Amino acid sequence: MTTTLTNHAPNHAPKKVAVTPTARRGGPASRKRGENLTGWMFIGPFMIFFILFLVVPIVWGLYLSFTGQTLTGRGGGLVGFANYQEALVDPDMWRSMGNTLWFVLISTVPLVLIALAMAVLVNLGLPGQWLWRLSYFMPYLLASSVVSLFWVWMFNPQLGLINAITGLFGAEPIAWLQDPKYAMLGIVIATVWWTVGFNFLLYLAALQNIPEQQYEAAALDGAGTWRQLVSITIPNLAPTTVLILILQILASLKVFDQIYQMTAGGPGGTTRSAVQYIFEVGFTGYRFGYSSAISYIFFALVVIISIAQFAVASRKGLKK
Amino acid sequence: MMNGKISADSGAGLSRRTLIVGAAAIFGGGWMITGLTGCAPAGALAAAPGSTQLSFWHLLTGGDGIKMSALVDGANADSSSFFAKQTILTWGTPYYTKLAMASAGGRAPDVAIMHASRLPGYAPGGLLDEWDLERLAQHGVTEANFPAAIWNSGFSGGKLYAIALDAHPFILMYNTDIAREAGVLGANGQLELMTTPAQFIEVARKMQAVTGRRGLSYGYLGDGAQMWRLFYTFYRQLGATMTLEPGKPARVNEDAGTTALEFMQELLDGTIATAAGDYATALAEFVNGESGLFLTGVWELPTMQTAGLSFDAMPIPNLFGAPATYADSHTFVLPRQANLDPVAREDVYAFVADILKSSLAWAEAGHIPAYLPVVDSVAYQELVPQAHYANAVDHLNYDPQAWFSGSGSDFQTFFAESLQSVLLDKTDARAGFQAFVRRLNVLLSKPNPVG
Repeated sequence: MTTTLTNHAPNHAPKKVAVTPTARRGGPASRKRGENLTGWMFIGPFMIFFILFLVVPIVWGLYLSFTGQTLTGRGGGLVGFANYQEALVDPDMWRSMGNTLWFVLISTVPLVLIALAMAVLVNLGLPGQWLWRLSYFMPYLLASSVVSLFWVWMFNPQLGLINAITGLFGAEPIAWLQDPKYAMLGIVIATVWWTVGFNFLLYLAALQNIPEQQYEAAALDGAGTWRQLVSITIPNLAPTTVLILILQILASLKVFDQIYQMTAGGPGGTTRSAVQYIFEVGFTGYRFGYSSAISYIFFALVVIISIAQFAVASRKGLKK
Repeated sequence: MMNGKISADSGAGLSRRTLIVGAAAIFGGGWMITGLTGCAPAGALAAAPGSTQLSFWHLLTGGDGIKMSALVDGANADSSSFFAKQTILTWGTPYYTKLAMASAGGRAPDVAIMHASRLPGYAPGGLLDEWDLERLAQHGVTEANFPAAIWNSGFSGGKLYAIALDAHPFILMYNTDIAREAGVLGANGQLELMTTPAQFIEVARKMQAVTGRRGLSYGYLGDGAQMWRLFYTFYRQLGATMTLEPGKPARVNEDAGTTALEFMQELLDGTIATAAGDYATALAEFVNGESGLFLTGVWELPTMQTAGLSFDAMPIPNLFGAPATYADSHTFVLPRQANLDPVAREDVYAFVADILKSSLAWAEAGHIPAYLPVVDSVAYQELVPQAHYANAVDHLNYDPQAWFSGSGSDFQTFFAESLQSVLLDKTDARAGFQAFVRRLNVLLSKPNPVG
């Protein structure tokens, strides 16, 4: 964000600055200074918030992770790597990290594939396209708490709509959010319904940018609908897919809201995400220092995933 | 913001009923606005000019929230020196994290509600101030006004940090129509005495035969508090104790734990009670007459009254030998403030004393008032079914004390994590209990962040 702003500001600034008499009189050196000033003024408001609410907490959190700081203000002394040592052998931490990774895996795949399928279907030129677009995208506009309330009711083992429907086909009622076997699946279903609309919209926009001539040429060469989909549509969507994957994996890694509201991490901790564990250790367990250490371990994990992702994505880019 | 035209004095002229109804109406719409704008509910009552504003935090959002609002309005009307403003937060973790943060930051409310069971997580850490016994006595509140168990629940490290407003035990409600038809009512019109697990099951089965659905309603899915309440009742009835001391392994009675859990499994067989019911489902089941018995907290009483159900209530029968019931108390605490206003502190004493003395209205929300003059009053004795379970006070059992235990705490979450599968999938009760104890031992081995 900052880099784009700093790069852009000087590009546009010279034209304005050049026409002001003061800048002309001042010569190249002061023009440069003026440009810089304008640039800083542009990024200033953002920088203040960036430093106050991101840089300072990040540095402060790193410091806290080496202390025994608690919420009550006690134990603020340095404890070296004790928190990290404790975290690395804490089964609950590893379990919550595992839950998060599992969630990333089983939510990202449907969130990409279903979005693609929906976008392709809508792009076929169904009548009332606006209605499809609206209904696929609308859930995305809801607050997480609303989504959670909806789905908690839908998944209710006794009164819920889902079991009522599966019951019509003779299926046994499932305690969706209370049974360790299904709880994460329930969260994923709710999440997909909620957020798939955003990916759908990105895909739809990309689809509408694919030149029509390519399809015409393919049709002339005798390619059928399926062939066109595989050889024209999907390759043309590759940059969008990479973008969606990056955004989606990052979004899924920080999952918290819907889990906290639908299962609170239960049953038996099977849906507790890494972020929730950090929250619990810090705010209900009072241990800020330990909580900070866990968040730094999680941060390291996210960095590793991002680097891996970047490596894969850039290799794809080279091929093109 | 608060200087409306109606002074507290003119408010005092209103009848109690008008106040409650008015407050209920204001409260219904007003509390959301309170949350958004930080203004007190405007309307019937406002602060008299020159009165101290007291900030009062609590976590009562159900039927008892409406009663509390009426009590606060009543106290405001009775006094010209203060005006208490409520801030209502979500029950459980959200409330307690905010209260702890506010106290840690020194910008805490003047007075707050806290569960007695949460004291060990707050008092030793210096998040609370002590109550001054002499000043309490000046307002007519002394130890003699409280049952010993309730009064003692307000102490931590030999100091009084909490003044109880009530005790809210886990109780047994029953549908009198179904009970009559099942032939399980005694000569006095109340449920017959049950003294063994087998008898309890027999009564539940008779009820089940009448409803054709279930005999008993008990919701626990995904709800550690509910599981713990019933478990601890039976565990204590078995004469077992649980001691949690940081730095040492938990001292528990594994046999009693197993017996209690196995009895719960027996109840959750799909016929006597739903094998997989959550809180709301169990409530709906009992309200709709699909079951005859309901294991629940006293706080659901107004729900039953609103539903127009013919029902009665009693303490959970002593099935294992020692009479005992799980309970907690809503208490008043003084969160630590960086800049204490002595005038406001003085007003807090008057405010709390006023609410304690008007807590007959609190009994209408189902809770058993802690203040004995209220409990001993004729008006309370005539309050049915409240009076039918008032003797639960003799056998109250608060959570085992630890910085991580108590209502809405991690302790209850861990209980659910270790034991839900025991109740839901009928996995081995002993192994489940052992897993819970292991979990407790991990917590006990970690440094106590408030000690």
